[in-house]
Amino acid sequence: MSRSAKGIAALLVLLLAGSAAFLLLRPKGEGQVARITLNGKVVQEIDLSRVEQPYTLTIDGPGGFSNTITVEKGRICVSKAGCPDQICVHQGYISDGTTPIVCLPNRLIIEITGGGSGLDAAAG
Amino acid sequence: MKQRLTALILLCALLTGCAAAGKGEQPLTATVLAMDTVMNFTLYGGGMGEEQLRQALSGAEDTLRQLDAALTAQGAEGEAAALNAADGAWTAVPQSGALLQQTLELAELTGGALDPTAYAAVKAWGFADGNYRIPPAEELEQLKADIDYTRVELSEDGAQARLAPGQQLDFGATAKGWAGDLLRQQLEQGGITSALLDLGQSSIAAVGTKPDGSPWRIAVQDPAGDSGDYVGILELSGRSMGTSGSYQRYFEQDGVRYCHIIDQATASPAQSGLAGVTVVADSCLLCDGLSTALFVMGLEDGVRFWRENSSLGFDVIFITDAGEIFVTSGLKDSFSLADGEEREVQVLE
Amino acid sequence: MTQRRADGPYRVVRLALLTAIALTIFMAEAQLPPLVPIQGVKLGLANIVTVYAVFVLGPRDALMILSARIFLGAVFSGQMMTLLYSAGGGLLAWAVMAVLSRQLTVKQLWLASPLAAVFHNLGQLLVAAGVMKSWTVMAFLPWLLISGVVTGLFTGLCAQFLIARLERISRGKDPGTKED
Repeated sequence: MSRSAKGIAALLVLLLAGSAAFLLLRPKGEGQVARITLNGKVVQEIDLSRVEQPYTLTIDGPGGFSNTITVEKGRICVSKAGCPDQICVHQGYISDGTTPIVCLPNRLIIEITGGGSGLDAAAG
Repeated sequence: MKQRLTALILLCALLTGCAAAGKGEQPLTATVLAMDTVMNFTLYGGGMGEEQLRQALSGAEDTLRQLDAALTAQGAEGEAAALNAADGAWTAVPQSGALLQQTLELAELTGGALDPTAYAAVKAWGFADGNYRIPPAEELEQLKADIDYTRVELSEDGAQARLAPGQQLDFGATAKGWAGDLLRQQLEQGGITSALLDLGQSSIAAVGTKPDGSPWRIAVQDPAGDSGDYVGILELSGRSMGTSGSYQRYFEQDGVRYCHIIDQATASPAQSGLAGVTVVADSCLLCDGLSTALFVMGLEDGVRFWRENSSLGFDVIFITDAGEIFVTSGLKDSFSLADGEEREVQVLE
Repeated sequence: MTQRRADGPYRVVRLALLTAIALTIFMAEAQLPPLVPIQGVKLGLANIVTVYAVFVLGPRDALMILSARIFLGAVFSGQMMTLLYSAGGGLLAWAVMAVLSRQLTVKQLWLASPLAAVFHNLGQLLVAAGVMKSWTVMAFLPWLLISGVVTGLFTGLCAQFLIARLERISRGKDPGTKED
């Protein structure tokens, strides 16, 4: 095989192993802060570990419809949405920072940033 | 080619192995139910063995339960309960004597804004048993007369105390702070250099910083928001903080909210224009007691008190009913707003 | 068919045929459940045609096939978002293949395919990040990298195998024998 072919093969192996390693070994965040972003701007941050009673909040986005978000202790999900695909609703709950919930038509992102804000406790 | 590929794969495996090894020190945590609330303790052992760390934690839990039983106004063994039932007679206060002494000193310092004998009103309004009610005017007049910390007497040696007849007392405003200081001392003596004691969110005591030297990051609840919604983050290094708010415990009637913090001047829930007060200081007891007192005082008097008592070494975060956020100058660098929070912090000098 | 560069009618026929194949794969793939919870992000199986075309017909012809497939794919699937993602992913993959077309031969299709797939997915994610105005979506990158390598390898090997067999046929030999 030519040199560039070997190089490409090596690169692919690296990407594959690296991605797998990253996914398997990523440390779980210490805190559980759900960050809700609309159109690139952070709209709200909720500390999920401090939530006592489940509650819902509704956000109207630039897509012209709304997403209804259900917040519970330790997890969050989009329970209802006006988008045609409903991918965000089907995704269900997220409880750690592995994957975010994304509603593309409404430019809505919900991600759990454990390491980012890194909250150790809440006063209140 | 095959050799190079194999080498590459081995390198990847090695790297992932290293990543797994360097995951960082894991803390020992415990959740304890005490003093009518849920407490969370986080301890880092540093170099000490796991057994020693566990012992430090269980020792702290034991002390906490002991304190809880001794200080309560509602259990049979509680010294506050004994005082209340004694109807003016001298009562032994072996475990709570020192706390009582310091609480009374704080009461005097704050001109009565903190007053442990306000418990009579706390009970009258139903916060002790959950049967909320608005007491009639004559009852409030009587309560106003009874709420008077100056009439609480402590014996010379601090081993006995008595209330004036008709008075009722509890350590609700200072018990957690007291426990925070004691537990922190105990842990430090046990060799712990990094721990966070969350005593039910209204009182938090830190031992040192996190193992990597960074401060503990504490979210400050937004009084107007849902639970979990926070307005900013406070960085805590080896100090304590105490929070009092109208949103912590309250009932609503006819559209008016009545919170559990009693204003001794009116024998009624305080309505000072403040929704939440957080005090930061070295002593957890000071934080606990002052947060209640400053809440009752209101913003103007509270700020004045802060300016006149700078020797105490404390700082405050005031959040008004209108949602304004005020922070005293000492917290300028350690308090930051949450992402997406649009309000501004006003720094008080 | 695999080696000769033709002009005129042969060329047009070949371009059209490859476009049709790419489009069919694209539409079939659209029926599968979404890979990640971002609307419009696809597996990119149709890129195998782009990769093949770059090596055998040259980057320019490959680009024509790609553009036609992207446009028609969006029209048939009825979603303009899809066009953005296909374009972002497809063009990035095509560009990388164009650069590499001198370094690799068609016998290394199985290697080029996963690489193209990886860049296709990267391109899609970059488009998503731009649309959402946030880098958060990059959280899906590890998933997409793995899927890119795996599906790219799969389609690459299939295509390689298919081409080898076709070659035998066009040379008039029995596809079952091992002569060569």
